[in-house]
Amino acid sequence: MNQIKQSLQMHKLRLIMLAFLTLLLGTSIIIQALAITYVVNGIYIDDVSFLSIVKWLIILFGALLIRATADYLSKKIGISIASHVKKQTRVRLLNKYRNEITSMENRGQTGEKVSLLLDGVDEMDSFYSQFIPQVMQSAFVPLLTLIIIFTQHMNSGIILMVTAPFIPIYMIVIGIQTQKKSEEKLDKMAAFSGTFLDTLKGLVTLKLFNRTDQKKKEIERSSLGFRDTTMDILKIAFTQSFMLEVISMLSIGIVALEIAFQLVLYNGITFFTAFFVLILVPEFYTALKELGTTFHNGRSSMGAAKKVFESFETSVVPVKWGNQVFENSDQVPTIVLENVTFRYGADRFALEDISFICHPNEKIAIVGPSGAGKSTLLNLFAGMISPEQGQLTINGESLLTYTEASWLNQVSYISQDPYIFAGTIRENIAIGASESITDEDVKDAARKAGIATLIDSLPETYQTYIGEGGRGLSSGEKQRVAIARAFIKQPNVVLLDEPTRGLDLQTERILQQSTKELQTFGTVITIAHRLHTIKDADKIVFLQEGRITGNGTHDELYAALPAYREMVTIQQGGTA
Amino acid sequence: MTPMKQLIKVLWVEKKDIISAVIFGFIAGISSVGLFAASGYLISKAALVPPLYALIVLTSTVKLLGFIKASAKYAERLVSHRATFTILSNLRVEFFEKLEPLVPQIFRKYRSGDLLGRVVGDVESLQNFFLRVFYPPIVLVLVFVSTIFFTTFYSWAVAVILFVGYLITTLLIPFLFSLKQLNIKQQVSAERGKLSTEVTEFMFGFKELKLFQQVDNKRQALLSQANNYSQTQNHENINKAFNQSFTGFVTFMTSWLVLAVGAYLVAIGDLEGIFLAMLVMISLTVFEPIAPMGVFPIYYQESQTAVTRLDEVVNDHDVSLDQGNAALSTDSAPYLRMNHVAFSYHGDWRKTLSDISITIPRGSKTAIVGASGSGKSTLLQLLIKLQFAEKGDLFWNEQNYTMIRATSIWEQTRVVLQENHFFYGTIRENLLIADENASDRLLEDMLKRVLLDHFSLEGHVAERGENLSGGEKQRLAIARAMLKSGKLWILDEPTSSLDAKTEQVILDHIETLAQDDTLLLVSHRINGLEKMDQIIVMEYGKIIESGRYDELMKRKGYLYEMKQLEQSMLG
Repeated sequence: MNQIKQSLQMHKLRLIMLAFLTLLLGTSIIIQALAITYVVNGIYIDDVSFLSIVKWLIILFGALLIRATADYLSKKIGISIASHVKKQTRVRLLNKYRNEITSMENRGQTGEKVSLLLDGVDEMDSFYSQFIPQVMQSAFVPLLTLIIIFTQHMNSGIILMVTAPFIPIYMIVIGIQTQKKSEEKLDKMAAFSGTFLDTLKGLVTLKLFNRTDQKKKEIERSSLGFRDTTMDILKIAFTQSFMLEVISMLSIGIVALEIAFQLVLYNGITFFTAFFVLILVPEFYTALKELGTTFHNGRSSMGAAKKVFESFETSVVPVKWGNQVFENSDQVPTIVLENVTFRYGADRFALEDISFICHPNEKIAIVGPSGAGKSTLLNLFAGMISPEQGQLTINGESLLTYTEASWLNQVSYISQDPYIFAGTIRENIAIGASESITDEDVKDAARKAGIATLIDSLPETYQTYIGEGGRGLSSGEKQRVAIARAFIKQPNVVLLDEPTRGLDLQTERILQQSTKELQTFGTVITIAHRLHTIKDADKIVFLQEGRITGNGTHDELYAALPAYREMVTIQQGGTA
Repeated sequence: MTPMKQLIKVLWVEKKDIISAVIFGFIAGISSVGLFAASGYLISKAALVPPLYALIVLTSTVKLLGFIKASAKYAERLVSHRATFTILSNLRVEFFEKLEPLVPQIFRKYRSGDLLGRVVGDVESLQNFFLRVFYPPIVLVLVFVSTIFFTTFYSWAVAVILFVGYLITTLLIPFLFSLKQLNIKQQVSAERGKLSTEVTEFMFGFKELKLFQQVDNKRQALLSQANNYSQTQNHENINKAFNQSFTGFVTFMTSWLVLAVGAYLVAIGDLEGIFLAMLVMISLTVFEPIAPMGVFPIYYQESQTAVTRLDEVVNDHDVSLDQGNAALSTDSAPYLRMNHVAFSYHGDWRKTLSDISITIPRGSKTAIVGASGSGKSTLLQLLIKLQFAEKGDLFWNEQNYTMIRATSIWEQTRVVLQENHFFYGTIRENLLIADENASDRLLEDMLKRVLLDHFSLEGHVAERGENLSGGEKQRLAIARAMLKSGKLWILDEPTSSLDAKTEQVILDHIETLAQDDTLLLVSHRINGLEKMDQIIVMEYGKIIESGRYDELMKRKGYLYEMKQLEQSMLG
């Protein structure tokens, strides 16, 4: 709620202008009524000449013009507030995500964030562009008309004062009832409305089992069920507008009757006043009714705004890099983890008290069951997250004394599911590389990554579009693009997350061969799922539930650790 | 018949509700005009100091009109919304009937997720057609014509002014507006598409962006695209706001003209003064129902697009229908042949299957292995005529697939696909799909065989089986296949999510049941294929080698190497 207020306070000037325009709008409504009354009264009661009312016609014209213009401008201001808020919110969300995205555990969360950034922000729009201007109008116009009516004819004013509260009271009572009823039926409605998509998705299954007709009937049954449930809820809403209509109509009727009696029996007021009041009274009730519907509509858009703002409440501390530039970039560094601890959230340890050394050019395999913290460990090396306790040192200096760029320049990370950007193959391979990279370099890297033949077979070779909206690549091909990226970069440290499932043999061979070649660049740290990688490693780090339970060569661990032994033998025909 | 005409035909089934909605809408509109006219007349009359009873009659008329108006409005809303939802139901059934014969051939062209989501969205959006496009203009015309007719009794000039104002606000403005709006809307959705790409790349490709130090570039690109998007959105909103305010202004001007001309006519004695207030009041209310016309073009376009797009899907010439109409001649276990068969998905840049020739002997057990994307599943789909071969021939015994009706193949087949669909409901309902007449005891027995005896038949199944784990879904799908009849088993990685022990138990059950049947199994692992009569190894849509397990192992070819790889993988 505070965040919403804050977001509005930044637009004080616009809000003041909005208030001014609303005042203008209200005034023009009064003047409009006044001018109409003058004309009718002059012609009908006072029998004046047409010419003498022309000035009132001109005034009326002006008032109507102002009314339309003020209406347009206030909508425009609402739109511009909404646009600014949306823009700022997107920037804030992006900055926030930049810090926390690497420490997120799964892609589901990422999908949610994508939709918040796109649709969530868009849904905020109507709160600022419509709700705010509408609330101002609906609150202000009745007040102004009420005051004017009081000055003209006390009795009518009193009738308005007495009847008006029925509208908001009734709305609140019914609003609560509708809310309750629709919440009760929400599950039922969701089930009904999902049936259509559910059935379409299951059409293949239905055909294979010859059950299409049965489900067709079900679509009809559930659609009609949805209709009846929805109508139950709508009926309440329609009754509400019916009652509001009746309340405001009765009130207008009472005013009219009272005026008529005053006019006929007591001669208490003039026709002028009577007509003037009678034109203003409907404006009063219309604005009040609108206030009700506005609040009703506002609730959902406010909900959207709240949801977006709530996401700002949690925050993640970004990795704090230093400003020293990493000097010896030609030499492969020694990396040491000293008692490193890292957690996701408050109480769940991802890594606890991890210590080991990576000597230059060592081949290190990280092995362990899923959920043991292997990916977290790799993220730590990549500088995506920083230890909560303990430290990671490079040649004896904490990693965090260096700039982010100077460390990342040393590192290549080949993930299980590398991301392919929308662009050409060349752009994807040469991503992040300096301008001096030649076509020859790119081709060379592609050759080493075993993807050159495939690329050459495409009509547009290296200029072929891939990624979103381009040609789709298989997971083996994506893997090879990622390896080509590493060959371009020639890093001192290679981080490799081996695919958990077997790829086609060609890709498997390339993976094996190119990792060998990457080893010539420097240290290779691999999350290993293949026995040859493990047997080949200089050192194996065996992780279980976030802790290192073994550290040594394959033979050492095999002899000493039953858990390790079980893990590496389970596939060797030991299962069936 | 054009798509729009077809839509109206579906609509017209509910003519009773449609006509009632129009009638109630008309009563509500006309009584609203009457209410204001009467109150204008009432006050003018009161100024003349008439007898009290005349006043009371007038006042009661006003009250009565008000009450009729509110009631008619209530009835209109009720009837029109009920009609809308009934129409939606009819539309769904209608579309389901049209789409049904096209599945799954249609997935050769469209990705199933994209297509179905879009189709459902389009069908749902058509519910607005009746409520916002079809009947409001009818009501509007009726109310207007009656009102103008009424005013002609008092002043032709006023009637003409109202008529012109009406033409401008309901035809001219919406028409001009809709042209502009259409244009802007296309821009907005184009910009949104670009933004969506930027956001997706930023979020899902973040790690890569960071490692290659492209975060700031990409962030800039994203924000500038967000800017473009919100600018076109602004443009759209401002256009809408302008339209609303301008329409409002034109209706004001009409009332203004009525007042000016009316006043003049009274002044020169052509109109009785007592009617002036009434005519002004009429002109102020008669434009009230035009508000829905402001959104009319938007919903009209939306319906038009939706209906055209749906039509493109159901009348797509790229999607071929099943031409076969012969039944299978016997129901014994079949032998199957594929002869130089090729297949590719539309828009895909490589063939999914090329030059496939295989023979599956009667009662044999065949395994197909290969990396993901090698075409194994597609091969199975062709064998059960879920897709049609692009080139080459398939035979079921001696019958050519092109002549056989697909449904008669399905009657003979027990299928477990990679993705098996489960419907919202209970476990029992989902099993009964395979055999309507199965007793609870039989169903429970099947659950026991797939090691799901802890499941109750009453157990709840969410849409698409979302409350079931991958392994549970696979086991339920196998139970369903076991319940069905048929002498051909088509199993596509049926046990990939199960642990080795469970897998073995279930495969043993299948083996017993399928003893005399023909069976094809796409397997995710090579371990355990020793007993198969034939193993087919695939890569990149081609058959690399085939034969018995021990033959292939002896040959030390592709399967041998795959076996080595498999053994070197950690669990």
